[in-house]
Amino acid sequence: MSMLNQLNISYDEIIESSVNKIVALLNHNYVISKRAAALLLLQEDDDMLELVKANEGNNYIKIIDIVERTKEKSDKPLSYIISLSRQKEVDKLTNKVVTKKKETEKKSISEFLSKLTMNPITGIPILLLVVYFGFYKFVGEFGAGTVVDFLEANIFESYINPWVDGVVNSIIPWTWLQDLIANEYGIITLGVRYAVAIVLPIVGAFFLVFSIIEDSGYLPRLAMLVDRVFKKIGLNGRAVIPMVLGFGCDTMATMVSRTLETKRERIIATLLLALAIPCSAQLGVIMSLLSGNSGALGIWFIFIMLVFLFIGFLTSKILPGEGPSFYMEVPPLRLPKLSNVLSKTYTRMQWYFVEIIPLFIFASVLIWLGNITGLFGLLISWLEPIVNVLGLPNEAAEVFLFGFFRRDYGAAGLFDLQKANILNPRQLVVSAATLTLFLPCVAQFAMMIKERGWKVALAMSAFILVFAFVAGYFLNQILLITGVLA
Amino acid sequence: MECCKNKVPWYKKLASTLLGTGNCHGEVNQNTHGLEKIALVGSPNVGKSVIFNRLTGVYVTVSNYPGTTVEVSRGKGIIGGVQYEIIDTPGMYSLMCITEEEKVTKDLLFREKPKALLHVIDAKNISRMLPLTIQMIEAGSPVILVLNIMDEAERMGLKIDVEGLQRELGIPVISTVAALNKGLDELKERVDEYVKSA
Repeated sequence: MSMLNQLNISYDEIIESSVNKIVALLNHNYVISKRAAALLLLQEDDDMLELVKANEGNNYIKIIDIVERTKEKSDKPLSYIISLSRQKEVDKLTNKVVTKKKETEKKSISEFLSKLTMNPITGIPILLLVVYFGFYKFVGEFGAGTVVDFLEANIFESYINPWVDGVVNSIIPWTWLQDLIANEYGIITLGVRYAVAIVLPIVGAFFLVFSIIEDSGYLPRLAMLVDRVFKKIGLNGRAVIPMVLGFGCDTMATMVSRTLETKRERIIATLLLALAIPCSAQLGVIMSLLSGNSGALGIWFIFIMLVFLFIGFLTSKILPGEGPSFYMEVPPLRLPKLSNVLSKTYTRMQWYFVEIIPLFIFASVLIWLGNITGLFGLLISWLEPIVNVLGLPNEAAEVFLFGFFRRDYGAAGLFDLQKANILNPRQLVVSAATLTLFLPCVAQFAMMIKERGWKVALAMSAFILVFAFVAGYFLNQILLITGVLA
Repeated sequence: MECCKNKVPWYKKLASTLLGTGNCHGEVNQNTHGLEKIALVGSPNVGKSVIFNRLTGVYVTVSNYPGTTVEVSRGKGIIGGVQYEIIDTPGMYSLMCITEEEKVTKDLLFREKPKALLHVIDAKNISRMLPLTIQMIEAGSPVILVLNIMDEAERMGLKIDVEGLQRELGIPVISTVAALNKGLDELKERVDEYVKSA
């Protein structure tokens, strides 16, 4: 194809003459053309200003002077004038090359559905249906119930654990090494079992449902639906996406929080993700823990939601800055493509697995080391009075210690306690709620440091640690006084 | 992207080597050192990642909402018998950016010199998205316009004169339905032609 003449649009006289003056002053070679650079400078683009300041020496001051004078001559912001000229040119162009025929009828069905999801009267019931069938039924009952039970009881407890214990205990003569691999806290019998039999099926089921929801285009509609509530806590509807992603993996979601427009929003979102949004592994384990008792599940849910709203509201009052404006593109509802849903679920499971397996093994080794040196027992003896204040038995101290490594590791530990019938419903709710609020996992903490910096990440973690225990204490007191779960 | 390059803890590297996976939140980073670059840019949710997947054969996460891609992904792809570094970028609306993930793309445009810059747009919203094309033409970038999601545009009754648009803009214009793998072969051919004639 021969090179065609590229479209060259001209702006009004004031801008054109300033552009020419600036171009003449630019000596350095930038990757982008000088004309484009001059236009960005007129719009006071920070990055361009910085580049020019670094490369043009004395001319920088002359350029700034031109920009200032151009601003004085124009009655509207320069960026507005420039965008308007471009848009006019584009509209002329599209009038020539785009023709619109009558719409076909297929659109109206998805349009209608789309409206239903965003209208509060129909949207909230739709949300509840999605949560009930997608998450409660499929992830909670099928993933965390049927599949986990099968893997735990029929695979690990019947075959793998006894076999590993048997082989290890007969081949290896030293108890300390036996305990590293097998028995109560072994790498295989505890670390791998938690990861493979409890966390993986739950996370897999969650990612599957989540991929379908993502690809349908439901999330931006949910954002529109809850925008009003979010505004009250200093976030706009756009923040719904990181929040909902957080239910999958808080680490991923913390990274996605950079799509939010202001620094203030990013801080609020990061804190809420770390504090009140349980990740899929945790959520699944907690759902299956509490699903036997709908009252307990309800209390846990209301409690976490109140904490979310309360802390969100409080931080938005404390942090300076304006409330956010909301602009989001709402893509059309689309039928999810099976191949994309499956490869996405697979990629995420694989990623999660890579992420957790080493950490779970690492945790097993730490616990083993702690056991051998007696440090573990010491830490537990320190934690015991604290968990007792929350109305929990001594055994729960171990779970909370696990929770320091990863919240889902702790939640999986809770699963074991419940099966041994050590906790009553009130204690179950209190420990589940405290653990939900608990410090995020190591990966999320690392991501918080990366995205928000050391100071913010450390301050948030310290706050969360204290807040989780205090909130757990109050929840226990309220439950004791009202006698709801007695 | 630094989270994939340097800051991966040793145990994760070990695990990902053992399991043969790349990690880092759906982003991909193959070793593409020394290859010529082809970058995908455009507004959020127009299908850049789908095209990336088709060109490289590597999977990066694709969703139906804006903001799925927040980091740059790099993969290898063969076009016209030549291997290129294909770059997927977070969406951006304009060269003047508001959010952090837009800045990632802009930094890339300011630093690296791709052989071709594929500006992917949602054909339904052509008039809203062309201003960025114009900005990139102004910047002197080697832009190729990709009208993606043509099926939905046609269903809405939009008819776009691709030839005419190409004449008016003075850059190659290609229409695709990347999700259904339509128009990708033509896209590759045109990119090849463009890069070799440049």
